[in-house]
Amino acid sequence: MRTLFASLLLGTSLYAPAAMADESEASSCLRTKVWDGYGDGWAIRTMTSTELDAGKTRSYLVSLYADNEYRINTCADAGAANLDVLIYDTEGNIVVRDETTDREPMIDFTPKASGTYYVVVYLREAAEGAEKAGVAMAVVYR
Amino acid sequence: MLVLLISLFACSGEVATTPEPAPTEAPAKAAPETPEIDVDEMKDQAEKAALVPSPVETQKALEASGIDVQLATLIPKHKFDLEASDTDHAAVRSGVLLADVLLTVKTAETKQLVKRLSAVQKGMNQLNGGSDIDAVLEDIKERLQAEAVTRDDLLKELDELSGAVIPELEFNGQERVVPLIEAGSWLEGANLVARAVQKSGKTEAAEKLLKAPAVVDYFIEYVKTDGAEKAPEAVTKKLEESLLELKGLAEKTEPLTKEDIDRVVEVTNAVLALL
Repeated sequence: MRTLFASLLLGTSLYAPAAMADESEASSCLRTKVWDGYGDGWAIRTMTSTELDAGKTRSYLVSLYADNEYRINTCADAGAANLDVLIYDTEGNIVVRDETTDREPMIDFTPKASGTYYVVVYLREAAEGAEKAGVAMAVVYR
Repeated sequence: MLVLLISLFACSGEVATTPEPAPTEAPAKAAPETPEIDVDEMKDQAEKAALVPSPVETQKALEASGIDVQLATLIPKHKFDLEASDTDHAAVRSGVLLADVLLTVKTAETKQLVKRLSAVQKGMNQLNGGSDIDAVLEDIKERLQAEAVTRDDLLKELDELSGAVIPELEFNGQERVVPLIEAGSWLEGANLVARAVQKSGKTEAAEKLLKAPAVVDYFIEYVKTDGAEKAPEAVTKKLEESLLELKGLAEKTEPLTKEDIDRVVEVTNAVLALL
């Protein structure tokens, strides 16, 4: 969903319809995590956000370098009870996944070989009374 | 058993007097621990927002390969035509400049950095990036000149600008702009990496630094001019030719040779020379 991170950095309300409020919350949470990560040597490749229905996934194609350390940071808004994040290889095998049951999972991955992978965010459980959630995802490296 | 008895009564032709059990809601099906992924669907529907590595990330990968060359030191004095405002030209050029800014943010002299930021700003305006991005770049330049921002903080801001803000801008609905900006940054990175590999003589490192077929495919998808109504701009045509050649090299099953590295430098230089 475009313009959310732009709004945060630019300090403007470029785009603020009610339907996107949740994504804004997730994006703001993620931005804080990513900026905090710079203290430990992490830097941003990408930050993006979306809206997910309960039980649904969103996948992102990523090209990763061998021996670089990667971290996938995520944040979901209050519409999520349990968000999962996983990395798949191109054959559909899970390479790494988070084992937590919260809505801000994170995974670390250092590929042995450069190549293409898929980052999958999965809204495993929505919060009580919610059917969807705003979800933000960042790929950072060091 | 009760169900069976009711069924029997019903079948006997007698009027069943037992009330129908109230329908109960089926328990919600818990989502599985692992999502049910259809691999083909995942590949078809995957978003490309996080696909392209940043130039600084490429520098890290270079170091991890044992090549101790700072890409920033290899950036040539580009002689870009900043007045060329057609979309493809301005987008690719802005991407190259953005890569140069990111690679030199911690080391460049203020004057040089401001000059590069001004060139990026000009490109954003030519591409209809909007008044907000213009104001942000102006603010960054002012703080830089007033020494009101550390280079570490500036790196964070520029990383975010490149990795999150610019990719989210609408550019007046021109879908090609963001991929072409990314293509410019990636092309500059590929050129610098290939030259760093040449310089170090470690040809084997090119395997993990320059073979990125998915990235090249993504750019080709947007650059392709087949069937375009108007003749492609010179930059677009050259970019397409170069990407097709880079795709061939990226898909090679054998290791890249010294000649392949030389070719990467040649084809990327050919695009950069047109900007």
